[in-house]
Amino acid sequence: MKSRIAADRLRDLQSITDAALAYLPLEGLLNELLNRVIAILGVDTSAILLLEDDDTTLIPRAAKGLEEEVERRVRIPVGRGFAGRVAATGRPVRILNVAEADIYNPILREKGLESLLGAPLLVEGHVIGVLHVGTLTRRNFDDEDVELLQRAADRAALAISSRLTERERGLADALQSSLLPRLPELPAVSLAGRYLPAASERIGGDWYDAFLLPDGRLGLAIGDVVGRGFHAAAIMGQLRSGLRAYALDGNSPGQVLERLSRLLRDIEAGRTATVIYLVADPHGGVLHYASAGHPPPLVQAPGEEPRLLEIPGSVPLGATRHPRYEDHEEELDPGALLVLYTDGLVERPGEPLEVGLDLLTETVAAGADQLEHLCDGVVDVMLPEGTGVDDAAFLMARALPLGDVFVAQLPAEIESIPLMRRVLARWLDEAGATQRDIDDLTLAAAEAAANAIEHAYGLAPGVVELRAARDEAGGVTVAIRDFGHWRQPRGTHRGRGLLLMEGLTDDVEVFRSDEGTTVELSRRLGVEAAA
Amino acid sequence: MTSRAQASVDYHDAVGVVKLTGEVDIVAAHDLRDRLLGAVRNEDLGLVVDLTDASYIDSVGVSLLFELAEKLTERQLRLAVVLPDGGLVARVLGIVNLGSVVEVEPSVDEAVATLHGA
Repeated sequence: MKSRIAADRLRDLQSITDAALAYLPLEGLLNELLNRVIAILGVDTSAILLLEDDDTTLIPRAAKGLEEEVERRVRIPVGRGFAGRVAATGRPVRILNVAEADIYNPILREKGLESLLGAPLLVEGHVIGVLHVGTLTRRNFDDEDVELLQRAADRAALAISSRLTERERGLADALQSSLLPRLPELPAVSLAGRYLPAASERIGGDWYDAFLLPDGRLGLAIGDVVGRGFHAAAIMGQLRSGLRAYALDGNSPGQVLERLSRLLRDIEAGRTATVIYLVADPHGGVLHYASAGHPPPLVQAPGEEPRLLEIPGSVPLGATRHPRYEDHEEELDPGALLVLYTDGLVERPGEPLEVGLDLLTETVAAGADQLEHLCDGVVDVMLPEGTGVDDAAFLMARALPLGDVFVAQLPAEIESIPLMRRVLARWLDEAGATQRDIDDLTLAAAEAAANAIEHAYGLAPGVVELRAARDEAGGVTVAIRDFGHWRQPRGTHRGRGLLLMEGLTDDVEVFRSDEGTTVELSRRLGVEAAA
Repeated sequence: MTSRAQASVDYHDAVGVVKLTGEVDIVAAHDLRDRLLGAVRNEDLGLVVDLTDASYIDSVGVSLLFELAEKLTERQLRLAVVLPDGGLVARVLGIVNLGSVVEVEPSVDEAVATLHGA
């Protein structure tokens, strides 16, 4: 008899959730569900609490007879008290006598509740919250009550998860696209990256970033905020901005990470993140880097096998009060490939990290030249079935071959000058120039470019073209061309600019036409640096 | 190629010494101008700009030194530049003949002594 009644009650419950799913907003649905649970089980109160994104705290979302719980936004740590225990164990919990039990939430006692029964909200075996009921008189909840409440909890969990994912999907996509960086453009440098959210989320705490430093070098960062979902993503966004700001201020990588660790502790004490930050000139030179507990990037010099950068152990950001992050450096060959990644790309359940790292190394070694294709290949091999519970990110950078005749167009902006000097220095080095040839010619070319930027264009955007080629006389000619109309040079330093071009090269020729101006700088190579 | 210019200021016996490191160029000039002009105290005899560890200087950086020399002269103060022999910076400053308007010395001590009229 009793079980027939129970079956009828269960049908009531199902009908309300099925019908409600179609039209009620989430809050309305939860309230209806709680009313029905109270009626079916014959209890005085009921409440639904949901886990916060990082799964450490329960927040009340709807309540009947316990409305204060929602209004006061009580925060219940997972593992503490009654509801916290339900969430931590993922199993129903019965309490016969509230007065003698371990209760965290004071409102339960304030309301004079005697007995409690709680059940976890489970989605694919994962706890997303707690449904609990209470009585003002003592009641010994039996197994049938427990089963009924668990069924109600399952229905609620299904409804909540579909509603949340629907609503959050749009938000998550918008947030994610705004947090992914627009990669900078450098002459003859290729950059590509991917962000793959965890299978259960649309967004998470992994990020990468690439930006231009004032001296023309490239800042490359990748990191992983511990935690999941929106909350981790919001912290990630703040760390990403903080890292850029500290980097643009001229701090060394170690200094950037020390400041970032302080920032993270200020944003949220107890939260940790791993990050690696590199300052690189892809056209060759010293690579500077520092790591806060992050897995080491791969480096592949042209014609060599990829290898892991050597980094001694270090603590994650936020883990200790005053962390020291050591600056490391090593020589980077022109055209070397750098691959930064988060553990979500290489970690696989039940396997040591080395297995994933070896697979990544092999994939990079055998992969496509073109970085976008290489990224696709890495995703296919490393995550053939997509991401699991963790999100994944990676970023690649490599300078391209320059060729015998090198031509590049750059925006007519001051910031282009350091970029132009770096790529020209590499071309000259590959053309057999001495350090003194390189110093003098790049400075002369920078002066010509500064002239073009200052005088060829008004406020409208324009471009400056660099062309470097060997000439018949065994020297080189570097041409700087603009496509604007010159106004009369102003100020004395432009006069000095021409003086420097003439003093640092063998020949300066200026060609003006309606289409623009070209300055050709020629010089024989092989001049050794003065003592 | 080193990083962008940094300026540090120190004072030796009524003479400000600004040490410039890195690239004294069109990108850094705006910030450096403020640092250089701000380093001159009213009671000082003059200013020393130490370019020993500067790796690069372009025409905008050069103009900054000429402007500084002019401003100091107007106030009856003197400018000395510390410059080691050889290297790109010395070549550039030679081409523009910076020595015609400022004292060029091989060390900070000698530059300070020069400003003291020793």
